[in-house]
Amino acid sequence: MEQKENRQSGERTPCSVALVQRRSKSYRQSYRSCLGATSRLFTPGHATRRLNSSRRAPRPRDIKEQLDPGVLSLLTRTEWQLSYVTPLFQFRHTRLKSYARQLSAFMAAERQQGVAVEVQGEEHTYRGRFSLLPGLVEGEGEAEAVLIQLWSRPAFSRADAAEKPVWSGWFSCVRGGDDYLRSLPPDFVGLPLFCSSGAESLTATVKAWFSRHFDCSFGALPLDQDTLQWVAALWANCHLEADLRHLTLLWEIPVSPPLKVSYAVEPLDAWTLWSGVRRAPSAVEEGVIGVGEVEEFVQELKRHFHRHFRLQLSAGNLTQVSSGLGAAKSSGRVKISSSRYLVSTLSLLTECALLKMPI
Amino acid sequence: MALLKPFSKLPSLHASSILLVENEELFQQSLANALVAEAGVTVNVRLAKNLPLPLENEDKRPRIDLVVFVMNLTSELSFQSTEASLKYLDPGFFLGKVCFMVTNARNATVPSGRLDSVRKLAASLQCPLLFAEDQSPDGVANAAERLLTILKVSAGFVPTITALYLSNLTRCTVPPDIDQLSFE
Repeated sequence: MEQKENRQSGERTPCSVALVQRRSKSYRQSYRSCLGATSRLFTPGHATRRLNSSRRAPRPRDIKEQLDPGVLSLLTRTEWQLSYVTPLFQFRHTRLKSYARQLSAFMAAERQQGVAVEVQGEEHTYRGRFSLLPGLVEGEGEAEAVLIQLWSRPAFSRADAAEKPVWSGWFSCVRGGDDYLRSLPPDFVGLPLFCSSGAESLTATVKAWFSRHFDCSFGALPLDQDTLQWVAALWANCHLEADLRHLTLLWEIPVSPPLKVSYAVEPLDAWTLWSGVRRAPSAVEEGVIGVGEVEEFVQELKRHFHRHFRLQLSAGNLTQVSSGLGAAKSSGRVKISSSRYLVSTLSLLTECALLKMPI
Repeated sequence: MALLKPFSKLPSLHASSILLVENEELFQQSLANALVAEAGVTVNVRLAKNLPLPLENEDKRPRIDLVVFVMNLTSELSFQSTEASLKYLDPGFFLGKVCFMVTNARNATVPSGRLDSVRKLAASLQCPLLFAEDQSPDGVANAAERLLTILKVSAGFVPTITALYLSNLTRCTVPPDIDQLSFE
């Protein structure tokens, strides 16, 4: 937190910087530095931060032995809605059972208060269950992922019928940046990525409970074009080790009526193009992918499209990237279908969550 | 090459010319209407989608005092077409007769890298970078007023200031930590 504060204070007090320089330099140079400082004044804090320009190539990690197969299939078969979470205050991984009880009590209280939890609202009692997801971390100081599920009996069933999960959500933090995690005050736990799937009203209630209990706030995490380009490039990179059945990119061109272009690339062609881009002399080193290569890869795809269809895809926005390894949409919905690449995709999403957080 | 040259023609009396270059051709219309409505000096507004300008009009075209490149940040094509058009300007234009105008900078869907590359481009060419809001009439009037200030200096209507001097004061700068990463 200190580092971030320093950076912020550097941005908010440019006048002192200009004053110091005016004493030592000539008038014209100090005027220029003052202008440079004022241009920094108008840059809001989060706009000066950007995604890493290079990252390690994803390695497949087998997490099957650490996770329960039912949980693993839940993680890989559901489409999750992403949000970012500010650090949680006094969240203890050892008190999960008591948190589950408190959450169930909160859900019952909300229902009694008359907050509409379910539209076709029968007597639904929700039971919360918290569990740990071991193995979803990459660095030393990162907190273990936590899975929350709401179980409920389906409507019109007998009293002893089995309960089924109606809502799931999980917090995680993968490669969140060592200095960021170290800079958090001692009682705070950093779990910046929150994925949820289920009814919107249940999500809102669970978020309300968390924000009340742990003094955190949630926010939507849309994925912008740079992130989706990174996802496409990282998935193309995995062709040798995983079955990438296809690589489909969806573009939306803002004409009237709006035009949606779905561009499906054969995996072998995508791999040939990607290795061609990587072999270019500007490649930095083995195992590290630079942002220039990602942009070059997507530019080549767009140029190929333009050559055949005379349509400039740059005039539109990339809204969805999907492949055999999963799908990512710009609205913030992701589905990661491969358990081996779950961790590496999560590291990219964690970085996006940390960038979007309004500290 | 069909370069646009700044000083190859004589200036016209009590009149100035401004060239608005925009790939989408949306904002330039409303901006042109606001510029022409200015009383006091005659402003000739010429619109273009990109450079180079067609050769047929070469003789009838007046001397261009200010070239404004309008970019929409939500579309990457806008930035690419501006970069391609810059090659067709004579270097003499970059002594204060070129200005960049950016719309939709506050849009949340714009990736942050795009604004950075626009700023780097403007700073490398030492040209001013203006931000405009094109949806409301107030925004259009505001942008037109700022362009007129620069245009009056470039056309020589202000006695003690030249375009080069003004550009030295108003040029875009990038903060020194623009390439600094947040994470390792």
